[in-house]
Amino acid sequence: MAAKKLRRARLSQELCERLSRHQITTCQDFLCLSLLDLMKVTGQSYCNVQKLLCKVSLACAPKMQTAYEMTVRRAVNPSSAFLSTSLHSLDEVLHGGVPCGSLTEITSPPGCGKTQFCIMMSVLATLPISMGGLDGAVIYIDTESAFSAERLIEVAGNRFPAYFDSNEKLFSMTRNIYLYRELTCGSVLKRIKSLEEEIISKKVKLIIIDSVASVVRKEFDTKLQGNLTERSNFLARGASLLKYLAEEFSIPV
Amino acid sequence: EIGISKEEALEALQVVRQECRGDATRTAGAPGTSRKCTALELLEQEQAQGFIITFCSALDNILGGGVQLTKITEICGAPGVGKTQLCMQLAVDVQIPECFGGLAGEAVFIDTEGSFMVERVVDIATACVQHCQLIAEADQEEDHLKALETFSLENILSHIYYFRCRDYIELLAQVYLLPDFLSEHSKVRLVVIDGIAFPFRHDFEDLSLRTRLLNGLAQQLIIIANDHKAAVVLTNQMTTRIGQSQSTLVPALGESWGHAATVRLIFHWDNNQRLATLYKSPSQKESTIPYHVTPHGFRDVQLPAVTQKPEGTEMNPRKRPRREEEK
Repeated sequence: MAAKKLRRARLSQELCERLSRHQITTCQDFLCLSLLDLMKVTGQSYCNVQKLLCKVSLACAPKMQTAYEMTVRRAVNPSSAFLSTSLHSLDEVLHGGVPCGSLTEITSPPGCGKTQFCIMMSVLATLPISMGGLDGAVIYIDTESAFSAERLIEVAGNRFPAYFDSNEKLFSMTRNIYLYRELTCGSVLKRIKSLEEEIISKKVKLIIIDSVASVVRKEFDTKLQGNLTERSNFLARGASLLKYLAEEFSIPV
Repeated sequence: EIGISKEEALEALQVVRQECRGDATRTAGAPGTSRKCTALELLEQEQAQGFIITFCSALDNILGGGVQLTKITEICGAPGVGKTQLCMQLAVDVQIPECFGGLAGEAVFIDTEGSFMVERVVDIATACVQHCQLIAEADQEEDHLKALETFSLENILSHIYYFRCRDYIELLAQVYLLPDFLSEHSKVRLVVIDGIAFPFRHDFEDLSLRTRLLNGLAQQLIIIANDHKAAVVLTNQMTTRIGQSQSTLVPALGESWGHAATVRLIFHWDNNQRLATLYKSPSQKESTIPYHVTPHGFRDVQLPAVTQKPEGTEMNPRKRPRREEEK
């Protein structure tokens, strides 16, 4: 949105050319300048510059929706709001399950069951909507190599014996779970960036990253001064990418 | 210098000024002429002004009645402490009809972090409507019952205008467009920007640009608050300042941002209890009170011995920043 070209914001042609001479081509550059700078660069009066600002802002600003519209949308499609964890009390506390469209973080000391929970959620996501799943593919980014496919099949077979009664169903379920092993921060970030296309092409309905902390702790030693900012930059960039993916495609992460 | 007396010079200046003012009104440009009024008029205005209650009487007390209109209030706190909860509570509370002590206004919610959960607002709004219904039943007054007809769940939800800004450019653009939006929807009495720190904190190499943009933003918000008699509520994150021997949590975005808000509230934990501290206010003194986040929203702590622990109503998934990585 921010990188939108000024021409698309319906500014006049000569104005765009004049601005590009000063290297202002996107909405981002335009809005970052102060009013005085804008007046100097465009050569227009105060009021006109304000009107220009409004026009450019209209091009970038997000749409408005009322909270009511949001509830209506959720009510129409209840499965699109939450992914039930199939643990009744957990669902109650979470008000329906893992929310679609936001990031959910699971933390605990080692050995408590985080990876097991992730495996369980992967199985749930591949179930059809009638059974409380999302009927879609799952992207599993594994940084600890803790994912075991056999365990996946065991969980599926034991938890939903009625559904996974044949081997084919089991295999088709496993085919829907795409596992990526990433071992460094850089590759994790690259992988997240490439996810957008895969989500659309493979109809992904759940993204799991297990786990963020292990790669970050390995690579960034907090005792060194510069590393703290780098680490937080990496985390923040990853987080905003994931948030964008979660909201854009309305899937839980 | 020219050899005329001071009064004659003043007359000449005034004549010139009047000519200029005539020109200015003809071009009909920038709004907001300079406001002069005596302190007495201001006093009357302030006393007649309403507050937005928070449903937590202790918090309202330390704020002097609630969140003030025409002022910028900043809420800082660690993740998960209740900032977005308070914002959602305020977005519902601003719509309480006047006969119940509210402002009967509408709310604009600008979300940069994506932690706005509609289901939670439904919960809070339902509890608020029930609360008003109880009051109405106890009092049995005409206007109470009439007001209740319009104060329903759908109405509350349709008067919360939600914008989702993904980065700082969208936020800037939205704030530039806000005055026009508020002129169209003149009943808006509350503007919430949830997470003003988030888009400015990561990936911002040019710190001077950041300071300039933030200052510009603050100025615009002050103008909006004053022109449209709205309260502006911002939520900020905390950052660690590493001192000589220990590190302390301070509000993010730096010292210069601290001057932008008129009233500053800091939320923090103390063992298991959440506390709110009034850190900066022109009219109230500094104090700390405990509060709760219950399934019904933001509430006081129950004083009797049977204290219910703060319920795990953290609907909003929070991403803890780089500090506490518990694994």
